[in-house]
Amino acid sequence: MRKNGRLNTAVLFIVLSLISLVYIIPLLWTAASAIRPAGSIYQYATPLTWETFFPREITADNFIHIFTREDFGIPLANSFIIASATIAFGVIVNSMAGFALARFSFPGKNLVFLLVLITFMVPFESIVIPLYILVEKMGLINTYAALILPAVGNGLAVFLFRQFFAEVPKELLEAGRADGASWPRIYLQILLPLSGPAIVTVMVMMFMFQWNALFWPLVAAYSNRLQVVQVAVASHRLTEETHWAYLFGSALVASLPPMLLFLGLQRFYVRGISKTGIR
Amino acid sequence: MFREAKTGWAFVLPAFLLLCLFKIAPIFVSFAESLQYTGITGEKTFVGAENYLFLFAEDPVFWNSVKVTLVYSLLVNPLVVVTALVLAMLVNVRHKFAVFFRTLYFIPAAISFAVVSVIWGIVLDPYYGLANGFLALLRIPPQPFFASSGQALLSLVFLIIWRSAGYWMIFFLAGLQGIPQEIFEAAEMDGVNRLQRIFRITLPLLARTISFVLVTNTALNFLTFAPVYILTNGGPCGATNILMYESYKSAFVNLDLGRATAISSVLLLIILLFSAVELKITRASFEY
Amino acid sequence: MKKAASIFLLVLFSLLLPLCIFGETKLEVVWMGWPKDKVMELVERFEALNPDIDVDIQLVPFPKLFQTLEVRLSSGGTPDAYIVDGPLTSSYAVRENLLPLNDYFSPGELESWFASSIAAGTYKGKLYSVPYTNSSAGLYFNKKAFQAGGVPFPPQSPGDRLTWEQVSELARKLTEDSNGDGRPDTWGLIIEQIDRPYQLLPLIQSKGGRAINPDGLSTAGCFTSSAFLEATTFYWRLFNEWKVSPQGLKDSAQSREYFGNGKSAMMLGAEWNISRLAKFKDLDFGLSPHPMFAGGKAVTPTGSWHVGVNARTSHPDEAVRFVKFMTGKEASITWHKLHGHAPARPDVYEALPEVFSSPLWQVLFYEMENTAVPRPLTPGYLEYELILREAFNSIHFGADPKTTLESATQRIDRELRKYR
Repeated sequence: MRKNGRLNTAVLFIVLSLISLVYIIPLLWTAASAIRPAGSIYQYATPLTWETFFPREITADNFIHIFTREDFGIPLANSFIIASATIAFGVIVNSMAGFALARFSFPGKNLVFLLVLITFMVPFESIVIPLYILVEKMGLINTYAALILPAVGNGLAVFLFRQFFAEVPKELLEAGRADGASWPRIYLQILLPLSGPAIVTVMVMMFMFQWNALFWPLVAAYSNRLQVVQVAVASHRLTEETHWAYLFGSALVASLPPMLLFLGLQRFYVRGISKTGIR
Repeated sequence: MFREAKTGWAFVLPAFLLLCLFKIAPIFVSFAESLQYTGITGEKTFVGAENYLFLFAEDPVFWNSVKVTLVYSLLVNPLVVVTALVLAMLVNVRHKFAVFFRTLYFIPAAISFAVVSVIWGIVLDPYYGLANGFLALLRIPPQPFFASSGQALLSLVFLIIWRSAGYWMIFFLAGLQGIPQEIFEAAEMDGVNRLQRIFRITLPLLARTISFVLVTNTALNFLTFAPVYILTNGGPCGATNILMYESYKSAFVNLDLGRATAISSVLLLIILLFSAVELKITRASFEY
Repeated sequence: MKKAASIFLLVLFSLLLPLCIFGETKLEVVWMGWPKDKVMELVERFEALNPDIDVDIQLVPFPKLFQTLEVRLSSGGTPDAYIVDGPLTSSYAVRENLLPLNDYFSPGELESWFASSIAAGTYKGKLYSVPYTNSSAGLYFNKKAFQAGGVPFPPQSPGDRLTWEQVSELARKLTEDSNGDGRPDTWGLIIEQIDRPYQLLPLIQSKGGRAINPDGLSTAGCFTSSAFLEATTFYWRLFNEWKVSPQGLKDSAQSREYFGNGKSAMMLGAEWNISRLAKFKDLDFGLSPHPMFAGGKAVTPTGSWHVGVNARTSHPDEAVRFVKFMTGKEASITWHKLHGHAPARPDVYEALPEVFSSPLWQVLFYEMENTAVPRPLTPGYLEYELILREAFNSIHFGADPKTTLESATQRIDRELRKYR
């Protein structure tokens, strides 16, 4: 890394830039379509000109419209509440389960693990009706709970924590045990502090799972006051028409919270220092 | 492993109970549904394996879906995982510009799948889309993409990679954090070159992350729905008619819950099979 | 004394207050996801006229509408009222998801809507859904493309229509690939809903073909009749032989974008294009009546949304009041002004002469009164539509019409067996 440092960095930058073209082109065009006055969507798609990506006439009208005429703020707030509550409970509950599966042996453990895996291998459409009937019997239809509760337990999160915790050196945990610490204390004071990347990843994963939810909210929390962000975005596609500018505008606004969350948690991804604590 | 059964159960119970209630129980109900025939006013009759027998013996559409799904899977899963891994390794540096690229690659995952499908529907429009516009600049004739049975599946695979590589990248980034820097420094001092370092050190140490990403990405790709629903409706001529879409049609169009749940049960079996194989392979390659 | 009185009044008030709230009936309605501000205008008007009813209307995005309804209806008495895609009326009726409404409407009242629309909302002699909007279709054409091609405009007066044979000639003349890249810069004809039975059955019926057998429970003999095959082969040739029409159009919006941006000389499309083409500033378009096959019948598609009441609702009277309001004259007028859909009530056309006296609407009104044929009346419409649509889709991509239709008819009939 020391010799050729500058050259390596330059090459890396070029490679990353080339790759990013594939990302930037569609995204830039989408953003351009959202800040253009609402009109034909293909007008600037072909032939390709500078105007395809950098509109001559820009306006904030589309964004103003979705916030003032369509109350886009409400679904944004709803989804935010739901996603935040889900990760608050979910990180705890799923990391505990991942810990158990990674480091404990108990009767029925393999069956539990198998069932946990199965939970994300089944299409939602297959289970939506029984799930709906269940939630209805629990009297939770049209409440935040209907959207939060079924999502707190997350098989992917449990699986991820299990993989992560399986790497944590056994000696650390045994040392804690030898010191007389209770398991909850070991979990809270030894395990979790080491789990930064895993926790952060699960947070982003569960947040996005809730943020992207569309079908379940339509079915279980259909009251207007509970409308979630993806329903609001999707409502710009009608039978006979698609309001492209509003669709893209609202989709871009909706993509900001997950992006900001990811950005804000970046520092957990680049540490580059040993955190296993063992020398 | 700690042999403390009570503690083990205590830790696993909250999540397990929630999963049992809200996922496992409905899954079993759905499986039971596949053994029944639901009449138009909702009365159910037990028919045993009849739905399955019909699928396997008399349903060419089902078999086409199986074929398409398997081809799709064998293409998309390795490509997504390898792309995500490569991206992760590329951006796992401490330079300031890495933040920009990391976020950029992640953005598609932050946009809803449906909207991503709409966007790519226009970019890959067979006549007037941006992609063909670029090809025109390179004097390449316009491509049909989703409007051709030859290219539709490949276009779908490309869309999936674009959308999800950045997402799985963050899992690999998390995994890469678990590798102590000292190991790389030691390897460099031993004169190990970059390629050897990747294959002999990084990948084995990433084994659990790789198996996680591989298994979950495989499962989720089998459940792909939005782009097929929005862009191809299973066509052209069945070229993208994956099992998940067939199941959806059975449930919500043909109102044939028996066939729909039979298909999703078969799908589940396929996913489990693939997962078992993938877990075995990653374990064998990296011996963890 | 005063204190006692005010306490008494306070207690009385707080006892009566819950009564006020409980006195209000809450209706849960599922509606298509049209822009919220435009729907709420009508809902608020209804609530103003009916202070004892509180409407919680859920706007479901179209791609998810049917699934959402299926899940909600499968478990009971919610929603109380909902929007019904016209041809699905019998499907909901047969599964006991719609309340028969004959007791709530006098025969005179029923004449307020187009006869074909009432027919679409009827199953086994009972009215299950009330027409809300209607539709029709015609041949839109790009005036500049015709002028550039040196071709006179197609006829534009009501009832004066081209034949499909003439249309295919025009289309071939007007398809142009000026830069020789293998991709036409102007197509001759676009079919707005490229593979949907709504748009294509009129061609078949124009040749004398039948969409479904009279009992509504089988298609045997229909798809394989020579009329059906000839019409479908004509359709096949548009894309695969004459190549005057682009393949792979996904939806209405995309078709309209193509036509609106001048990429096609003609478009076979529904009535909503009259208002929705307005956003294409460079487009100068006209409307010619829906073509027919030479020697055949003039047939146009029709039918659109209806409204119905859940058979298991606990508030049937209130739900019916809501339905009657939304399908009434005043609401239909407002709805048209907000959305541009074709009204299902002839009296709305008379009430808005400034809109409907235009030549474009006159063409369509003629069709709705004279040549409109509703979609096949069958409880298995969802299955029928999906399978036939897939067949048309494959055919337009090049599959052989005969074998594709043979397999489609078998698959449909197998699905329809459950309704016997």
